[in-house]
Amino acid sequence: MASTPLPEQHIAPEMVLDFLQNTLPFKELSATALARLAKKCIIDFFPKDTLIFHQDDTEVTHLYVIQKGGVKSYLKNAEGDISLKDFRGEGEYFGALPLIQNTKANLNIETVEDTFCFLFSKEAFTELLESEPKASNFFLRSMSDKLVNSAYAELRHNRATGRAESALYLFTTQIGDIQTTPRTISSLESVQKAAADMARLHIGSLLVEENDKVIGIVTDKDLRTKVVAKGLDYATPVKSIMASPVQTIAANAVCFDALLFMMSKRIHHLAVENQGEISGIVTTHDIMVLQGTSPIYLFREIVAQRTIEGLYPMAAKIPSVVRTLVEDGAKANNITRMITIINDHILDRLLTLMVEKHGTPPVPFSWLLMGSEGRREQTFLTDQDNALIYAQSDDPALQKEAETYFKAFTEEAIEHLVKCGFTRCPGNIMASNPELRKDSKNWQDTFSRWISTPDVREILQATIFFDFRAGFGDRDIADKLRSYLATNIPNNDLFLYHLANDCLASRPPLSFFRNFIVEKDGEHRNSLNLKQNGLTPFVDFARVMSLKHGIKESNTLGRLQLLAEKQIIAPEFHAEMVEAYEFIMQIRLEHQLEQIENDIEPDNFVNPAQLTDLEKQTLKGAFDVTRRLQNYIKQEFRLGE
Amino acid sequence: MTILSHLLNIFREKPPSHPSFVRNHAFFKDIDQDRPLNEFDFVVLDTELTGLSQRQDEIVSIGAVRISNMHIMAGHTFYSLVKPKTKIDATGATLIHQITPQELLTAPEIATVLPALVDYCGSAFMVGHYIGLDSHFLNKAAKKHFKTTLRTPCLDTMRLAQIYAEKIWGRHNDQYNLQVSYNLTDLCKEYKLPLFPAHNALQDAMQTAYLFVFLVKSLQQQGLITLKDFFRAGQSWNRII
Repeated sequence: MASTPLPEQHIAPEMVLDFLQNTLPFKELSATALARLAKKCIIDFFPKDTLIFHQDDTEVTHLYVIQKGGVKSYLKNAEGDISLKDFRGEGEYFGALPLIQNTKANLNIETVEDTFCFLFSKEAFTELLESEPKASNFFLRSMSDKLVNSAYAELRHNRATGRAESALYLFTTQIGDIQTTPRTISSLESVQKAAADMARLHIGSLLVEENDKVIGIVTDKDLRTKVVAKGLDYATPVKSIMASPVQTIAANAVCFDALLFMMSKRIHHLAVENQGEISGIVTTHDIMVLQGTSPIYLFREIVAQRTIEGLYPMAAKIPSVVRTLVEDGAKANNITRMITIINDHILDRLLTLMVEKHGTPPVPFSWLLMGSEGRREQTFLTDQDNALIYAQSDDPALQKEAETYFKAFTEEAIEHLVKCGFTRCPGNIMASNPELRKDSKNWQDTFSRWISTPDVREILQATIFFDFRAGFGDRDIADKLRSYLATNIPNNDLFLYHLANDCLASRPPLSFFRNFIVEKDGEHRNSLNLKQNGLTPFVDFARVMSLKHGIKESNTLGRLQLLAEKQIIAPEFHAEMVEAYEFIMQIRLEHQLEQIENDIEPDNFVNPAQLTDLEKQTLKGAFDVTRRLQNYIKQEFRLGE
Repeated sequence: MTILSHLLNIFREKPPSHPSFVRNHAFFKDIDQDRPLNEFDFVVLDTELTGLSQRQDEIVSIGAVRISNMHIMAGHTFYSLVKPKTKIDATGATLIHQITPQELLTAPEIATVLPALVDYCGSAFMVGHYIGLDSHFLNKAAKKHFKTTLRTPCLDTMRLAQIYAEKIWGRHNDQYNLQVSYNLTDLCKEYKLPLFPAHNALQDAMQTAYLFVFLVKSLQQQGLITLKDFFRAGQSWNRII
């Protein structure tokens, strides 16, 4: 039974198929579409330094996918100035845009190495776009949203070890799905009746009703601490011991948000609100039974500490909590919020214990957090950036007393914080520094000087102060200072001009080429500074725009959100910025977590070799957003190059 | 075999009767050697054999890929197993090409495959790595079954690699490396070309095509443009004998 060979076989060449199966977006195509495309593949070779596309001149007839080698793309203006646009290596493509737009080459493309390309004719490419929605999505949609989702999925897939999708519940399960039916008690009933009801129903809280309205909540803890411990009469009405008003959360909030909310309020019960009605109760316990290792355990441990020394080992436990959250699919933004809350708790507990030890301060004060702590963007063990503000007093004796008290207080606090793992600030931006421990009048004068000084250097050294928030103590003092800034900065053009100019100081890299970062001047590096070249431009943008528009928020995503709500930035631009910023944060978080787990001091430098192709492409998109926000700043503040 | 006896052989040969070979002879009657090499079509070919004896052994598979405008047409390939007359059982070569005797039993014979190959090649020149060996076996079969030989001009990538090495050596004045291996895989590694698994006729043909395009374009940068330029550079052309 002999088979006759075909005179000419149109079989899909295996090696082309193999290659495309590992290359975006082709790997997402159906097997038949891939085979159809592979059959039409033409292979071409270009020695190093060959100009494949000549800008505005070359008729583009094919899509080029680089099989081996690499190209650079650049623009040349009439004066002959060259501006480098990108480097592309194996698996990357060029020529799609001119094919789609039916124009001549939009860029110069030149090989930087001996390069083999797979060529697909315009007809083959058009057929692909028409028949495969995944391909047309990839080539036609904007950069920012096309990769982000699959990139997150890949991050999770790569790093999460064998956990089921269902483990994502913390970030997907809505409170409404786990709430329990609310039990109520009339406000005039006795605390004994409340205790009896709770025991009978095996629950830990009752909502307190008056005239068919929920006016508060009473918990088993209230019964212990407010009734039994204080020897109150069991006939006392629940109204006099209840917490009011009751804290609520929307039924469509996810478990993680409920957990964060309860942690920040230091409570264990929340009423669930659905269209204005209380529809249920949710407790930390309800969430914990779903989650094995929960941040709530660490939170409880911190709050339970009765000695300052007991707080020392707490911060070191953060990474293991974060690891669990990352595996559950937490985004970096959730993680930094969580770390911030845990750190805030440590600070709160520490300073509470210190106030107990040192006695009530002579005047109210507020412990200010600066920089990333102020922005609620802490990652693992950051160094200290803090200051102290206290109420102004006209009485010189009281003033003197305050100075003495806070000197001893801050110096001791800084030492304890160091022992907790928050290293000393190399720039001495700490409350123990007499320059950073002032009354409200002096702080206002300091900010006022920064706002009006023509000295650029002084302004730039002070930027992190503009991200302050109150970490402990009397919030009013800090809020007044914030209000002062919100009123006075928007009209101060010179100050804003200098801040805006500083936004352009850290430029994102141009692109990735294999395992290198390519800078605008074509230089290659093998390390990317995720903070300076990645996150800083976003932080700077949010800061200057918020200060200009009198926004009091200090968190970067919070600032961007408010800028969008006030219609200062377009919703699409806002969405792109958030995605880009969160993705860079995520990469940094994964990087630092891995370092900590390998006993390496966490840093911001990632070697591109550690990134997957998808992560690189997504970061490339993020850099593109960075360039656009910097251009926005340039126009908004009329800055020259 | 001298050039003279080669010419005599061609002169003595009777015109072929099989239409595939009639066309083959017609295609290569007049070749304009002043035309740029890029304008010619090529078929890069590789064969797997039952062994290396030119007298006794036979072809067991043929793989080929077309090159047009110096582009490798990855979808335009030719591949066939060939049932040998003798040595159908496993030989030492079976371990290398990994074609089982079972597969060969159902394969077509060379008398069927050869005209199909000739038709596939059409007016294209033949290229191979040490093509002399492949062409020897093809012509042996052509003589046996069709009383004729192929007139397809052949280009040897091994010879091109030697020319390239001399050009590079001449230009850079480097120490000439006498240890250089002209084995297909070794050359491709040296030139940092994409690599494919060896010892499958089609994969080897594809690998050779990459090498060919690389060498031709690199030699073009050295000023070799026309067919004649390449011919003169190394007298690398051999008529199939």
